[in-house]
Amino acid sequence: MPVYRSVVCPFCGCLCDDLEITVEDNRIVKVRNGCAISTSKFLHHHENRVENPLIDGKPVALEEAVKEAAEILKSARRPLIYGLSSTECGAIAKAIELAELIGGVVDNTASVCHGPTILALQTLGESKCTLGTVRNRADLIIYWGCNPLEAHIRHLTRYSAMARGLYTSGGRKDRYVVAVDVRETRMKRVADLFLKVNPGGDYELLSALRAVVRGYGLDVDEVSGVPRDVILELAERMKKSRFGAIFFGLGLTQSEGRHMNIEAAIGLVADLNHHTKFVLIPMRGHYNVAGANTVTTWQTGYPYAVDFSRGYPRYNPGEYTAVDLLARGEADAALIIASDPAAHLPYKAARRLAEIPTIVLDPKRSMTSMISRVVIPTAAAGIEAEGTAYRMDGIPIRLKKLMEPPEGVLPDAEVLSLIIEEVMR
Amino acid sequence: MMELRLKPKVSGLSIPLEAEVISPDVIAGKTLREVEELRVYHGNRAERLGEYFEVEGEVAAEPGEQLIVVEGDVSWVKYIGAGMTAGKVVVKGDAGMHLGSKMSGGEIIVEGSVGDWAGAEMTGGLIRIGGDAGDLLGAAYRGSPEGMRGGCIFVEGSAGYETGTGMRRGLIVIGGDAAPFTGAHMNGGVIFILGRAAKRLGAQMKGNGSLIICLGEVEELLPTFVYDTTYTPTFMRIYLKTLSEKLGIKRAEEYIGRPFRRYRGDRAVGGDGEILVVERG
Repeated sequence: MPVYRSVVCPFCGCLCDDLEITVEDNRIVKVRNGCAISTSKFLHHHENRVENPLIDGKPVALEEAVKEAAEILKSARRPLIYGLSSTECGAIAKAIELAELIGGVVDNTASVCHGPTILALQTLGESKCTLGTVRNRADLIIYWGCNPLEAHIRHLTRYSAMARGLYTSGGRKDRYVVAVDVRETRMKRVADLFLKVNPGGDYELLSALRAVVRGYGLDVDEVSGVPRDVILELAERMKKSRFGAIFFGLGLTQSEGRHMNIEAAIGLVADLNHHTKFVLIPMRGHYNVAGANTVTTWQTGYPYAVDFSRGYPRYNPGEYTAVDLLARGEADAALIIASDPAAHLPYKAARRLAEIPTIVLDPKRSMTSMISRVVIPTAAAGIEAEGTAYRMDGIPIRLKKLMEPPEGVLPDAEVLSLIIEEVMR
Repeated sequence: MMELRLKPKVSGLSIPLEAEVISPDVIAGKTLREVEELRVYHGNRAERLGEYFEVEGEVAAEPGEQLIVVEGDVSWVKYIGAGMTAGKVVVKGDAGMHLGSKMSGGEIIVEGSVGDWAGAEMTGGLIRIGGDAGDLLGAAYRGSPEGMRGGCIFVEGSAGYETGTGMRRGLIVIGGDAAPFTGAHMNGGVIFILGRAAKRLGAQMKGNGSLIICLGEVEELLPTFVYDTTYTPTFMRIYLKTLSEKLGIKRAEEYIGRPFRRYRGDRAVGGDGEILVVERG
């Protein structure tokens, strides 16, 4: 009974790398150190699989499915390649190669999560560090618009609020923890200070904090539901901390203001660096969404929403992002890799996916696979295939192969290589 | 001016056409036949302009003498008049994204509405929009530090999000309502809003004489903009008269002599831009 140690969990952007997994008869039977989500992901890995390549719901040979996929992509005028955040970097690189070859648009799920973060980082820059540095040094941690207790379950114990580090041996006792959200989440119980901000009022609160840190007074009694005294006190506490970190999630990136919210947060952190050390780290969702941005950037120069229709890469979120392309009815074919946009995108965009010939590469059945013309099963990265993924703080970590995929099932990168060969033929 | 007419052969294409060749700079000096052969992009295919438009009329020798009239709705055509330096383009309907982006001279008149990024990073010339403008009118492209650097945009209807982002010089006049984040990162230039101004006006505005003038109602100002005085600026008289006489916005004259409340900001970035709000009543 092989037991794999130091296994990396391919679920969320934490990429916890201390799991112990027992495999028996090519099936995962035991998971140690995993959070509830991770344990469930590993133990139920064999369920709900796509068993055969399908065309219009009928089982076909892999070669036939690849040929049909290549035919669809070659004849399309505005093909879209989307997803990529839940697969390894080699597959992402292949997807970009294919996009260039067919003159398509390649976008990853960052465009519906931390895309605004990237826009803001490009405008203002970034003050960042690894999660290990936060663990070892941070004495003030702010969670803004995110709820790691329910979404990044081991984040608090491994990297942030509760973790014991080199200069924070007291763990939680050595840190002051602030949570900011529009409603009282479970983070309220963890935090020393919980700020309930009016929905859509984050930008104003961040701006006010920034002005106070810059030494201006505040002429108003409250900002977005937070009293002036609390803002003044928090600003003072931020300036006096030894090492501060802001973690933020979709509560900030996808609420009113979007990238401008993040610009305000980055600006605040930049100003705080005149007084102490302060960093800002996005809570990335899918385990390799940071990798999708990184690979896309090193291959094309841009992190997401890249259009190859004129032969060279162009970048414009809002114009070349998947939701916009689909909702406007522009995309005339789609290749979805390791993602389920039919279940997650807005109705208009999801409906367009059902209208056009869609190809999906996924280990499992999904809403998208049900509306797709071509479905090709692939090996799950981090379980049935090796590869590299980027943690939320930008650290690349090697994923392990724990077991064999079902017979005839190839990793995403290999299926994409076959499609590329067929397109070039 | 010599008039060249482009009549759309198709309508409402779902994949937009990229036609930066619809510009006096490209068309002047060519024959009608050569104009039909100009290259446009439909998705990943390069095609002829003549496949999408009937081309008739006259071609001028110099761009400054060229008038291009697009007869009909072309909301599916991007980059009309992009980068033009002289001449005139008239669109008798709606136009798509990036209209007049990076233009440095000449005039574009759109009778209908325009898509996003109209007049983005323009440095000169005039754009008149009869309907509404999309988001990021006269804005900076992503990754670029400066938006509009000169020229004038007049929208009769409303304007979308982040109008004039990163604006450095020039004038934008919004006849209708302005969506949130109008004038964000502004570092010079002037924006007039005749309708209702939504919140987060002038967010992260730096200064350098940047000015947003609200002649209508203002939803809410950021807490980082601070009131300093109510006054009747002399320059406003000249500005409002110019709007009335040069752009034909007669109702601007109603505000001559009215007092304005002045706010300074954005303190979040240590800026000293100004927002002037007309005193009600």
